[in-house]
Amino acid sequence: MEKDEIHRRLQPRWFASAKMVAVALVPLVVLAAMIAFIFGPGQQFLGAGTPLPEISIERIEFQEDGRIIAFIRNTGPIDVTVAQADVNDRIQQAAIEPSKELPRLAEAKVIIPFPWNEGEPYDIGVTSSDGTRFSKSVNAAALARTPDIGQAAFFGLIGTYVGVIPVLAGLLWLPFIKRLSLPKYRFFLSLTAGLLVFLGIDALVEGSEIAAESVAGVFNGQILIALVTILSFLALMYASVKMGERSKKGRTAEEVDKLSSYDSMHASQAKTLDQQHHLVVKPVAIALMISIGIGLHNFGEGLAIGASVVLGEIALSTFLIVGFMIHNTTEGLAIVSPLAKTKVRRMVGKLIIMGLIAGVPTIFGTWIGGFIYSPVAAIIFLSIGAGAILQVVFLIYQGMARAEAEKGRIMSDASIIAGFAAGMLIMYVTGLMIPS
Amino acid sequence: MITVKVIVVVAVAAAVLSTAFAVGSQSFVDFLATAQDAELRKNTIGGHSAGYGLHETSGDVLDPISSYNTASEEVIIDPDNYLRSFDYGRISTLADGSTVREFTLVADDRQTMEIAPGVFYNVWAFNGTIPGPTLRATEGDLIRINFINNGSKPHTIHTHGIHKAEMDGVFEIINPRGKFVYEFYAEAFGVYPYHCHVTPIEEHISHGLYGAYIIDPKTPRPEADEMVMIMNGFDTDFDTENNFYAVNTIPYYYMHHPIEIEEDKLVRVYLVNMLEFDQINNFHLHGNLYQLYRSGTSMVPNEYTDMVTMSQGERAILEFSYKYPGQYMFHAHKTEFAEKGWMGLFMVKDPAQTGGSDGSNSSRLLETKTISGGLSS
Repeated sequence: MEKDEIHRRLQPRWFASAKMVAVALVPLVVLAAMIAFIFGPGQQFLGAGTPLPEISIERIEFQEDGRIIAFIRNTGPIDVTVAQADVNDRIQQAAIEPSKELPRLAEAKVIIPFPWNEGEPYDIGVTSSDGTRFSKSVNAAALARTPDIGQAAFFGLIGTYVGVIPVLAGLLWLPFIKRLSLPKYRFFLSLTAGLLVFLGIDALVEGSEIAAESVAGVFNGQILIALVTILSFLALMYASVKMGERSKKGRTAEEVDKLSSYDSMHASQAKTLDQQHHLVVKPVAIALMISIGIGLHNFGEGLAIGASVVLGEIALSTFLIVGFMIHNTTEGLAIVSPLAKTKVRRMVGKLIIMGLIAGVPTIFGTWIGGFIYSPVAAIIFLSIGAGAILQVVFLIYQGMARAEAEKGRIMSDASIIAGFAAGMLIMYVTGLMIPS
Repeated sequence: MITVKVIVVVAVAAAVLSTAFAVGSQSFVDFLATAQDAELRKNTIGGHSAGYGLHETSGDVLDPISSYNTASEEVIIDPDNYLRSFDYGRISTLADGSTVREFTLVADDRQTMEIAPGVFYNVWAFNGTIPGPTLRATEGDLIRINFINNGSKPHTIHTHGIHKAEMDGVFEIINPRGKFVYEFYAEAFGVYPYHCHVTPIEEHISHGLYGAYIIDPKTPRPEADEMVMIMNGFDTDFDTENNFYAVNTIPYYYMHHPIEIEEDKLVRVYLVNMLEFDQINNFHLHGNLYQLYRSGTSMVPNEYTDMVTMSQGERAILEFSYKYPGQYMFHAHKTEFAEKGWMGLFMVKDPAQTGGSDGSNSSRLLETKTISGGLSS
């Protein structure tokens, strides 16, 4: 009797959750039935068109001992068998690893013994078993860099020159920024936003080019860029809000008091402790966010430099390095601009760390780009950078809007508009020094 | 505190990305492949001459130049067999005493077969081979070709040479399942092409509907080692440029299966250019000169040379004999064609030394391998 009662009482609950699961499964069951139908009896009605094979050559390496290596991927809708390989459309003996049979999305390495010449253009092709040839061109053959100490040091040096030194040099604008009056300061803050927007667009364009040239259609490169950019924006937005909240709780009243005393300019505007607090903490957070965004951007830039050197697409001239140096010095300015109202002495260590956060990724970028370049990874990093940069721009204008709340005019302020325009133009003009 | 949080967020993001990166990277795939491949096959490629790097591989070898490892039942032709095969027809005699030679040619266009190592193509062929069979008659014979269209598209047989208008295979289109009997007298001795003449002609020829026929003079040419070579090619990706070139269809075939001939013995090559898309084609012989009989319509040679250049449809008879034994190349001296398959070897044997060495494929392969890298001219 007792057992029955328990059972009766439990059954409805058990039954309810089972029903819940069943209801959730219904659409899936219908979908499964539909798929089974299409693969089974439905095939005859739907068999329209002939699926064509597609092979993408993702990367070509030229090796010292007379070998050309092509990294290929089956990016078509069907399995493919590779029949032949060629150099400049002339059939060559070759090996393919792990196998000449490539299932969908599988990769293979085609090794072609060939006495290639430094600096000459080559067109490397593979022919599938249905006789279709797929090829990729290289503008100038260059020896593949193998990750040894010497090469790593070489790339490290380039990364330091184009990434670390210019950013740290740009940080030295801080004393200048600090002496500016409010309208001029707003001009420079807005100039920073202009610089950043340019970098963000640059990253998106660069990513889009890589997607179009080197990423197979099946990966939907352009969509991936939009996706990663938005996700990166949202993630960093969330992180910055959380950071703001934590710092509020973390500090004692005395600390806040001490800090707020430095902030004479904003003290008059600050009505409550909270507001005051907000204004003190936020600039450091913004500067940090900017340096992270720029770091990601520079990582992408490093990838591009490393890969271009290896792929033989650019000659690493001193002109190129100087161009990148001038271009990247402005990134230092972007970091220090929000810190104008913050005490320098407390900031030196943090500033250097932020400079390194922004600059050092260039070195890692050149290593990864030079030694294990992957176009998909490159567009992912570039998109994260773009998202981060756009989020920082959002923060800067949000900060200014809050300060200007009573006036209620951000985009009609001449110094802000002029600063933004100047920032973009500076980037464009310094970018002209980089031969592409 | 703030920095720690940021570092954690960045570190997690970096970890996720680098994992994705590692999974996608070649080295990781290689590592998995090596781990899975229990029985490691090791082949070497390259290293045959300076500049070509030696490479030992556990993967597959793609080498149409010095090896031929395809399933023979899928291949459109056996070039060894085709080379010296002549179809003299079913012979009967007319009331007036003249000889009738009757042939049957069946066209089909529905098969997909191997035309180069590992490359499969929708072949349109007479009697199931590309080139079609070499028909042979003597001057004055009545040639009768029973044509059956077994394909899915209309086809005809257009023979070069002298015949009545209705025997020209141009206006009498033979539809699928249709038949036609072509009849004409073998008039001028020589070597001629035959091919389908249905529009688009380019398509019907480039897919393989062609072959050669020979009219021997009443007084036969001197006894010789005779062979047919049809210079052809295939545009497998339909961009109106050939992807593969050859004599007798299979690229590089006679590189790894050299044509054996005897020292001081007369060799006669019936050479026809059926190459579609390219303006010219040519035949260059190494270590020798040949007597060139253009179209084969005269017993007097036009030229003594090692080079002849032909446009599509042109043909010639080449006669030569080798003074010295050894391996000699022949190839298109349009080197692009040569390096896309149109090259081969004559293996000249001293008759005194010929014995059991015939058919030792492996030794041939070893010898040809050293040559395959560089084409000398």
